[in-house]
Parts: sequence; C-alpha cells; structure tokens
Amino acid sequence: MRDNSRRALGTFIFLCIGSVLAFSLDIESVNMLGRYLALAIVAVSLDLLWGYTGMLCLCQSFFFALGGYAIGMYLAHHGGPEGIVDATGWKLPACLYVVYPYGVGEAPGDALVPGFWKPFYSLPMAVVLGLVIPGIVAFGIGYFVFKSRVRGVFFAILTQAITFAAWLVFCLNNMKLCGTNGLTRFVNIAGFDLFDPTVRIVLYFVSMLSLVAVYWVCRGIVDSRLGRVLVAIRDNENRLRFSGYKPYHFKVFVFTISAMIAGLGGVLYAPQMGIFTPTNLEVKESILVVIWVAVGGRGTLSGPILGALGVNLAYNFLTNKWPESWPFVQGALFIAVVLVIPDGLISIPRRIVRFVRAMWGGKGLSKSSGEPPGVSDAKAGS
Amino acid sequence: MKVRKLVPTGRYVAAFHRRKAVLLAVLLTLFSLPGLAGQGSFEELGLELLEGTEIETQRSSLDTLLSSGDRRVGPFLKAYLGGDIYRWRGQYVSYYVDSHPGEQVVLLDAFERSPRALNGKPLRATVSELGIPLSPPRRLRRAIQGAVRVFGLLSEYPKERLESAGRLGDSRDPAHITFLEKALSTEADEKVKYTLTESVAIIRLHHDGTPYDARLESARLLGEMKSLRAASIFEDLLKEIDGAGGTTASDTARKVYSTALGRIESYEQKVRVLGYVFAGVSLGSILILMALGLSIIFGQMGVINMAHGEMMMVGAYATFWVHEIFATYLPESFFNWYFVASLPVAFVVAAAVGFVTERLIVRHLYGRPLETLLATWGVSLVLIQAIRLLHGDNSAINNPTWLRGGAEIFHGLVLPYNRCFIIVLCFFALLAIRVLMNRTRFGLRVRATVQNRDMADSLGVRTRRVDGMTFALGAGLAGVAGYALTLIGGITPDMGQNYIVDSFLVVVTGGVGELLGTVGAGLGLGLLNKFLEPSTGAVWGKVLILVVVVVFIQWKPEGLFPPKGRVADA
Repeated sequence: MRDNSRRALGTFIFLCIGSVLAFSLDIESVNMLGRYLALAIVAVSLDLLWGYTGMLCLCQSFFFALGGYAIGMYLAHHGGPEGIVDATGWKLPACLYVVYPYGVGEAPGDALVPGFWKPFYSLPMAVVLGLVIPGIVAFGIGYFVFKSRVRGVFFAILTQAITFAAWLVFCLNNMKLCGTNGLTRFVNIAGFDLFDPTVRIVLYFVSMLSLVAVYWVCRGIVDSRLGRVLVAIRDNENRLRFSGYKPYHFKVFVFTISAMIAGLGGVLYAPQMGIFTPTNLEVKESILVVIWVAVGGRGTLSGPILGALGVNLAYNFLTNKWPESWPFVQGALFIAVVLVIPDGLISIPRRIVRFVRAMWGGKGLSKSSGEPPGVSDAKAGS
Repeated sequence: MKVRKLVPTGRYVAAFHRRKAVLLAVLLTLFSLPGLAGQGSFEELGLELLEGTEIETQRSSLDTLLSSGDRRVGPFLKAYLGGDIYRWRGQYVSYYVDSHPGEQVVLLDAFERSPRALNGKPLRATVSELGIPLSPPRRLRRAIQGAVRVFGLLSEYPKERLESAGRLGDSRDPAHITFLEKALSTEADEKVKYTLTESVAIIRLHHDGTPYDARLESARLLGEMKSLRAASIFEDLLKEIDGAGGTTASDTARKVYSTALGRIESYEQKVRVLGYVFAGVSLGSILILMALGLSIIFGQMGVINMAHGEMMMVGAYATFWVHEIFATYLPESFFNWYFVASLPVAFVVAAAVGFVTERLIVRHLYGRPLETLLATWGVSLVLIQAIRLLHGDNSAINNPTWLRGGAEIFHGLVLPYNRCFIIVLCFFALLAIRVLMNRTRFGLRVRATVQNRDMADSLGVRTRRVDGMTFALGAGLAGVAGYALTLIGGITPDMGQNYIVDSFLVVVTGGVGELLGTVGAGLGLGLLNKFLEPSTGAVWGKVLILVVVVVFIQWKPEGLFPPKGRVADA
C-alpha cells in the first residue's frame, strides 16, 4: 500500500509537470511531447509483455499501426481538399489518389470508396476499432503461436517476421491503404481544426491522461493475482504448468490486452502527427520500442515511460544537431544498456541509495531496505 | 504486331512491291551464286549509298551491292545502320577504342572494316574530330535493315546467324522463306538449324497464302519442335477460326492447331516448373548459407545473432574491396581472379567481425538470450551506419567474365552460371561444415560443448575459446553468403535486412543445430518462395510462407528433423 501511495504521488507530480509544460512551451514542442506521450503508452504495453511475462514481442509497432490506421482513416475521410465524390455519394479521401488518380469532381463509377473504409467514418467507431482490431489480430496470432509453445527468442523472431510481412502488405498500393504514401491530409477531428493550438493542447492532455490511465490499469493487472501468474510465466513456465496452471490462456490474454494498449497509442499518435505511413510499422520501430523499455527499465511500468520520453527527446535533439550520429547512438544505447545497466535508468537512484546506505550503515541497514525476499530468490533461481 | 500493317498505303504500295520483287530476285542470285561480280566495285556502290541524293539510284546500288554477294557488304551495312560510319577528311571511317594515351581512337576503313594505316602506323583521331555519324535516309532504312538481316545468315558467327534466323522468322514475311531454306541447306550448327526450321514453319503457318496442306504440315512440325515462339500464332489462328464459324476444313485445322498448341504449352509448363525449381534451389542455397551460421551459433551458445545479416553485408563489402583493388592496381588480365581471391577474404573479414563481437559483447551475456538479441541488434545498427558513411548507399561490382551468361540445358531453359555457382558453393560449404564438425578435433569440441557444457569444461575443453571460434565460423559463413550475393544483386549497407527474416524462418523451421534440417528447410522455403511468387506476387508470397511456417511449427515444434533420444531432453 505504501508503494501505491508513492506511485500516486509520482503520478500527481507527473501530471503537474505535464500541465506546466503544456502552458509554458511553444505549441510545436507541446505537440511533439504529446506524440512522445502516445509512444510511451506503446512502451508500457511492451513492458507488460516483456518485463512481466518475459515475452519479447516485436509486433508492437504493428499493433500501434493498426490503431494509427484506424484513426487515420477517420481523419482521411474528413480531411483533404473537398470535392472528389464517388458514384455512391461517398467523398473519396484525397490520399487514395494513388489508387484513384482523378481530379476534383465526380469520379468514374468503378472508383468507389472501399467498403472497409466506411466503418471508420464516425469518430467513436474509429476509436473503438482502433482498439478492437489490434486485439483481434493479437488474439489470432497468440492463439496459434502460444499453442505450439513458441517462446523466448523464437517468439521474438516469429513476431519480427509477422511485423515484416505486415509492413510489406501495408506498402501495397492495391490494398487501398494508400501504399507507401500512407494516410495524409488530416485537417480536422470531430469538427475541430487540427492545427488550432487549443485542439493540440487538448490532444496533449488526452494523451497524458490516457498514459496515466494505462499505467494504472497495467499496475492493477500486475499487482493482482493474475500478475503473479504472469511473473511466474516469466520466471519458470514449466514449473507453473506442473502446478496446474495453463500458461497458454494467460499468455493469450496478456498479449491481447497489450496489443489493444499499443493500438490506443496509435490512435493518439496519428492525429498529433498529421500523417500515418507504413514506416510506422517497420521492424525497426518495434525494436525502438524495445529500446525505450530497456533503457527505462523493464518490469517497472514507470521505467518504460521514462525511457520512451528520454530516448525520443535525445533522438530529437541529436537528429537536429548531428543527423548521421543517431544510428551509432542507438546501437551504442542497445549495447550499453544491456551490458552496463540491465535494469534501466529507473534503477539508478535505487542503486545510488543502496550504495550510499552500504557506505554509511553497513550490512544491517541495507538488508532491511532491500527488496522483499521472494523477488531476490526468484532472480537468483532464474 | 503484324508486319503487314507497316506496308505503306496508297500509290507507294505498287512501287514497294515492285522494288521488293527486284530485291528478292537479286538476293536469290546472291544465294545461289555467291561471289558473282556486279557492275561497279563494292567501294563505288557503297559511296553512292553514303553520298547519293537520289533515292532511286541509291536503291539500285543497294540492290547491286547485295547481288555482288560480297561478304564485306553485311558488316558495312550494319555499321551504316548502326550510326558507326563517319566522314573524316574526305574519307569514310569507323573507329574502335584502345588504350591510347592521347585518347585517340583507331580509325577503320568504313568498307574494309580494317585499320587504316599511314606510313605503317595506324591512323588515329579523337572522337570529337569525327563529328556526327552518317545515318541512312529514312526511306532507305527499312531496305537496309532487311538486307542486314539476310546477310546475318551468312555471318561466320553462329550467334549472329541465330539472331538473323530468329528475326527473319519474326518478320513473318513469306519472301524470307527462300533465304532461310538456302541457309538451312548449308548450316551445320544444331541450334541455328533448329531456329531456321522454326522460322520457316512460323512464316508458313502465319501466311494466309500458304497452301492448306503445307500450313497444317508446318503446324504439326512446330508442335513437334515445341516451338515457344509459335504459341501466340496458334492462339490467334484458333481465335480466327472460332470467329469465322465452322466448316469441315476449319475443323481439321482447329484440331491440328490445338494439338500443336497443347504440346507447346505443356512443354512450356514443364520448362517453367524447372525454372522455378532452379531459382528456388539457388535462393535456398543462399538461405542455407545464412541459416547455417545462425543455427551453429544458436545451437552452440543459445545466442540469436541479430547482426548476422550485417556479417553477410560485411562479406559482400569485403568482396567489393578486393574487386576495387584488382580493378585499380592490377592489370586487366588479372581482373577475373578477384573473384577467387575474395572468397577467403570475405570469410576472414566477416569471421573477424564476428570474433570481435563475441569477445566484446556476446561473451558477457551468456544465458541471457533476449539480451544478446538486443545487443547484437545494436551491433547491426552500428555496422550498417558505419558502412553507409564509408561507401554511400549503393556499390556495384562486375561479375567475373566466366560467370556471365548461362547454360541452355534444353531448348527454352537457360540456367545462369552465377546461380549455378551459388548452388555449387553452398554444396561445398555444407560438405566442409560436415567434415569440420564430424572429422576434426575442433568439431569434436564444439559438439561436446553443445551436448554438455559443464562436462566438456571439466574434461579440459576450453569452452569459452570454442565459443569464440564457433561465433567466428558462423559469421564467416554469413560472409560467404554475402560474397555469393554480390553475383546476383547490388551491394547496399542494408542488404542483410532483406535476408535475415527469411533465414530466421529457416532456422525456426529446420530446428536448431541440425545440418539436415537447415538444408531441408532452406530448400523448402526457397522453392516455396519461387513457386508462390508468380501467382501471388512477392508480398503475399512472403505472407503465405509465414503462415505456412506458423502452421508447420504447430505440427512439428522441434523442426524438421528433431533430435531423438537423450539429446532431446537437453
């Protein structure tokens, strides 16, 4: 309980800082921060999978993109220049130009708005689908993959292959998802101008509050009995199975939940970005999510948020100053985090505290302030 | 495209046909009596062709030239048509480039096609001095073109004769039958003979004026020959018959045509399938080379090397460096040897990169497979960016001359030499690995470490050193894969990314550390890829393969050839 009050305090401070920044920074920076908050949601979703359940998933950018495409289709419906209408009276989204290259006016009879675009015309529907579709896809993948007990690195490889294949498919022009150009010309959302500073600040706050909500939902999951099972899957799946549990069900469940959270990240990201393209679901985007989690500290839920914001700000800073250095920094980050601080940035204060206490108080103090006995035992065992 | 449509209309038609008749008559004499002397020498007539202003006179000198039967006429007309004749100081010349320091080219006599000499030294000029090449008048062009093709049948090179025979058949002009048949009577080369016969039959089949029986006979012949070129004509003819409505005669014709077409199509199908098999095996070979290294490393250390694709890329760039050195510093006659020299270089460079990676990074992460995955991904990012800064985005390489072209093992199926080489290379690599693992002390130590690391350790195997060597070996194999890839594609810093996903799938399907499984899965995925690609497109093919792999591991989670007995528990 003491932990939770500390976390509540942390959340409060986070919200305060976020609000102050929203009103003190220029609107471009606020917009940028809003996007990074949306990405932090994806990082939290991966932490649930990787940090707690021990499944390194490289599908996260795919789920993120499914959410992004859902809201992107809504935005494309209502965006772009007016005036290209198909035979059934639907306005053709301007970014479908790659499939239907017609000018303003009536499009020929065969150039119809594809049927699967139509549900995304209403905002609530698009948001719901942006969460549900990744969930369904993840359920399908999980159903097959976990059934055959694919795990560890094989799971990582397989999800990587899935992301790669999905990326190829989304790049196709005849999928009518606008090919490599992506969804473009977002102008307004729910009738408000997307370029209006107020709307941008509102989106920023929606992202921040969603992040906080996601954090607490995930916190609830991992602190419940369900969460104990997830950690058990991470630490020793066979022993769990022998104890009468079916890890399969839990894995499918957490995989689905995580995909929906990643989808939410996409839903919040697309309107703030103003464009959504297949580059958002490349394999390397998935790997980026892994970096955020690893840098921040996995298995902590708050670490990934720190990691996502920190790495993205560093990325933003470095690509402005030395564009060519970023891959080096990124590669070095991977290697350094794994070799030097496997517990991530979030563990540094704790390490310092422990170090200082050990210097001052000797053995007795450090033992009483350590982790609960079960955790260190489990770590030693694994 | 039908040639008939290109015939000029209106009052030119009559003149054209008259002209053609004369030309044909002349050419006929040429073929029957080669070496017949005409009026005026070759040079005079040629000059008229180059300098004349009257189309009619030029035509008649062209005709006379052809009737002379002079073997020099063909090359001369070809050069004229190809824009290879210049007027230079009142003479007509062509040129060829040699390695002259003053960038001057050697001048050839336009008629004799041999170097012109002045006081025993070849005549030279710079290209810019030569100005613009002469080109035949538009109205003469077609006539010259036809003549060049007919002369091609007389060429001393089978390749040129083959091309001419094909072209004359494709023109579908019945006037050419006589030449083709004449050439057929003296031809010795089997392939040229085949094409000549095919062309004659194609023209007969296509031409409406051919007698009915001769036409059917040609159709049967083409069916027997399995002529791939005739398929479209048969399709057109069948359509024509269907459109016209049936008589008894047309029914027989339809039967003959469709039989012939059926034979051709079934042959075409066979050739296509064989082509896919070949392409699949060659893709599979590359995947095997890649997956072999991955699988060895994973089997030995439980490490997934995400930088494996970059080890391959490094191997390809090592080949590129050797290529550059040979091209810059060594004489041209040595150039082909770069390919021999770069095989060990590619292996060693990639192995060295692998060894360093193992020493600096992977070594500290044993027993944490997910972490090695991340760290090696970091290595791959650094390697890609380093190479990109060094070489930019695209580097090209010239294949050694002996691997250009291909072997036509039977009619219609050409196997490119470079792909054959890759298959052979993969075979020998597999053989080498097999021998290394089962017949050497190093292999013994590796297998001991894989089976029981602690036991091997306590029996005096230095497992850490074995690990380093194994990692280097795996990386070196990837380097060899990169070396092989330079034969069939461009070299880019991110080339590894295109193959890494597929080779991971091979490892997953084939099972880890299983030589046989890797071979089976590599060939299987390669073949599947090439068979799916034409019908589904490359992207959906990849998606389908992924689905197949996921379904496959439901059925056999341990791979194609799972270990049995005690080893299975480890």
